[in-house]
Amino acid sequence: MKTATKPAAEPSESPGNQAPDFNHAVRPPFSRERFVLWIALAAIAGLTVLSARQIDFDLRALGGGFDDVANLLERMLPPELDNPPRVGELLVETLMMALLGTVLATIISIPLAFLAASNTTPHPAVQHAARMVITMCRAIPDLVFAVLFVRALGIGVLPGILALGLHSVGMMAKLFADAIEQIDEGPRDAVRATGAGRLTELVSAVLPQVMPAWIGTFIYRVDINLRTSVVLGFVGAGGIGFALQDALRGLMYQSAMGIILVILLIIAAMEYLAVGLRRTLLDPASDGAAAPAIPGPSVRPPWTKGRTIRALCAAATLAAVVVSLIHLGIDPLAPIKQFTDLVTVFGRLLPPSAEGLEGALLKAVGETLAIGLVATASGAALAIPFGVLAARNVSPSGFIYHSARAVILAVRAIPELILAVIFVAAIGLGPMAGAMALGVGTIGFLGKLVADSVEEISGGPLEAVRAAGGGWWDVLFAAVIPQALPQLTGHWLYMLDVNIRTSTVLGIVGAGGIGFLLMESVRTLNFDVAGSIILIIFFIVFAIERLSAWISRLFR
Amino acid sequence: MTQAAATAVPDSQPGPAIRVRELRKDFGPVTALHGIDLEVAPGELTVLLGLSGSGKSTLLRCLNGLNPITAGEATVLGQPVHGMTSREMRKLRSRIGFIFQHFNLVGRLTCLENVLIGASGRISGPRYGILSYSRAQRREALTHLSRVGLGQHAFQRADSLSGGQQQRVAIARALMQKPELILADEPVASLDPENAANVMDLLFQICLEKRITVLCTLHQVDLAMHWAHRIVGLRDGEKVLDSSTATLSREDVLNVYKQLQPEAAPDGTTA
Ligand SMILES: Nc1ncnc2c1ncn2[C@@H]1O[C@H](COP(=O)(O)OP(=O)(O)O)[C@@H](O)[C@H]1O
Ligand SMILES: [Mg+2]
Repeated sequence: MKTATKPAAEPSESPGNQAPDFNHAVRPPFSRERFVLWIALAAIAGLTVLSARQIDFDLRALGGGFDDVANLLERMLPPELDNPPRVGELLVETLMMALLGTVLATIISIPLAFLAASNTTPHPAVQHAARMVITMCRAIPDLVFAVLFVRALGIGVLPGILALGLHSVGMMAKLFADAIEQIDEGPRDAVRATGAGRLTELVSAVLPQVMPAWIGTFIYRVDINLRTSVVLGFVGAGGIGFALQDALRGLMYQSAMGIILVILLIIAAMEYLAVGLRRTLLDPASDGAAAPAIPGPSVRPPWTKGRTIRALCAAATLAAVVVSLIHLGIDPLAPIKQFTDLVTVFGRLLPPSAEGLEGALLKAVGETLAIGLVATASGAALAIPFGVLAARNVSPSGFIYHSARAVILAVRAIPELILAVIFVAAIGLGPMAGAMALGVGTIGFLGKLVADSVEEISGGPLEAVRAAGGGWWDVLFAAVIPQALPQLTGHWLYMLDVNIRTSTVLGIVGAGGIGFLLMESVRTLNFDVAGSIILIIFFIVFAIERLSAWISRLFR
Repeated sequence: MTQAAATAVPDSQPGPAIRVRELRKDFGPVTALHGIDLEVAPGELTVLLGLSGSGKSTLLRCLNGLNPITAGEATVLGQPVHGMTSREMRKLRSRIGFIFQHFNLVGRLTCLENVLIGASGRISGPRYGILSYSRAQRREALTHLSRVGLGQHAFQRADSLSGGQQQRVAIARALMQKPELILADEPVASLDPENAANVMDLLFQICLEKRITVLCTLHQVDLAMHWAHRIVGLRDGEKVLDSSTATLSREDVLNVYKQLQPEAAPDGTTA
């Protein structure tokens, strides 16, 4: 706002009986901010309408699409589980991939984070380079990595693990570095003052401080990676997605449903586990009075309850990693031994070229963006009401609150690509299936964000509207929406960002967008084309990220 | 109990604005109010004093239904507060202005929009944005805002104002309701002494002018003695003072703040 905060002193105007001051009109004055806001809204609305037209997305098609899905679901019931031992084996494989992928990402992220954090980097140039690597890992979707690695190393779990690992670095190293930048420098100075070496300094003064944040990030990422590892099988990178794709290709809808239910179950279980682990591991109370690290040469904290639990969990994780490596038959040094294969594949992406395919590429890019926009707009139209009803402080009744939360939770458990294969099976290949899948996914993802941020708004204004005789709708429009608007806008943009990212890989299952061309070019060994597609995806993701950062600054 | 002196009551309409009998309010195992009796005549300006935790806010919130009553009865502006439909409750609330300690403005909205929110109870249909209100309503809101001396801040965000100014916007919001009664819960407790006095003077002046009945909780004994027709004291959910200001001394009032009566102190800890 350009009218900055006034000094706290009362102005000298006398609040007496002076005549009402009607020198200015009762219309709000022109404000540049409001103007930009309306232009931005109009632009987004216009683009969304254009996008809907491009992918033939309209209400009739939507209704028909849901009819088709209902028909399909009917054929999927009752669910069947044929060959349970195989499904069980694939499930274990899926879990192990998620774990090993996250561990790999952690191993890469730790040194990278120290290089990328402003307070531990040896040189600003190094910091810059490290941040660049992190951004690149983030901008290339895990499934794109998977497609490439399957090509380089053949079908199996190793490409899947590497794909999860590399893409996760984008998030983990960034959060790790952020945690390092937020440490209290006191203990570090103290250790340095003892004449300790640089490594000692990092290990004994920095590590203890960032540990809780890092552990939180790790648990969070295992959860996310499990959601991806269930679909890696679609591109031949191991796990249960393979069986699901088999069942769908063979039109064995009942067993497909069985597999989907198993997937949802394991994802829900992991979410529970993650919440529980976060609560026990990151509970500051369990560290007692010894919580703040004591600066000085003996910075080792005593064996509190919290530390014991953490040690046990670390041991269990280590054991699980070893068991996974043995079970999957993976040589821990495989990534290094097969380094040349990997480099060769990446080398063949260069120089990127798209000769003769410019038209098709451009159309695919348009389709990718269109899917993201349409899915975000249509999904938000449901996600926002659901989110408001799922906010405890605004929901009109306990029953509605619990129902809305349940819907959001159920939808959230289903990975977008699983939704996409279902929609493709129901309504056929094409962007419509992708847009519907992402739209449904948006209800779960955005709905939760909306509900959580509505629950955080200040309750006073709500009470003031009620005290003035306002009803539920008055409270909603006068106090809830105005307070939550910046968060809602931010979440909406974040959702658009996520949906466009996802829509770059929807093509892998035939649900439209640029991913299809990527799959085709890798399959037909046109690596130079694949190179340009990856470059394009990279730029789309990067541009969307910058754009949403810019817009959310405007809306504050 | 001292009877309210008839001379102090400016208006002698039939029927009290507030009539509370044996009002009791429990929060689970905690009893916040143990059977309060209170009557406030129309146009009367009553100040409610008492230590924090004595039940002042609870009493005010019972009177406009923000807290449901456990037992006893409360009749406000001729309407029994208990057993109302939510529609009747909203109708009654729209006649009662409520002023909160923390103003409860929507910080991101302009002052004018915040004042317009006061009309929620009497206009049908929710509104969003200044332009969704009629011109007449906007004019009316601006009049109230000018009355509290903030006409020139109409289109400024509410959170850009100082605390005292924000409370004045909240007063304008209450005036927008065209209230017959104003309930104010420690309206100046989060302001510095000078602003507190200014805001209280403004509120009481307007209410006297417009003959609005006021029940206000306050910690400033001097302000209370200066403005109130009547002072009511609460301690631990019971009424311990109810008297016309004219017949009260400062000491009588300060007595309300004595933590415990000497004979009632079981463990001998006195304030
Ligand atoms: N919403 C509530 N839930 C539980 N107890 C409450 C609630 N509101 C008030 N109380 C209790 O009622 C008593 C009176 O509180 P309150 O009316 O806020 O006092 P005052 O406004 O005089 O400071 C206190 O013991 C307080 O803890
Ligand atoms: Mg109070």
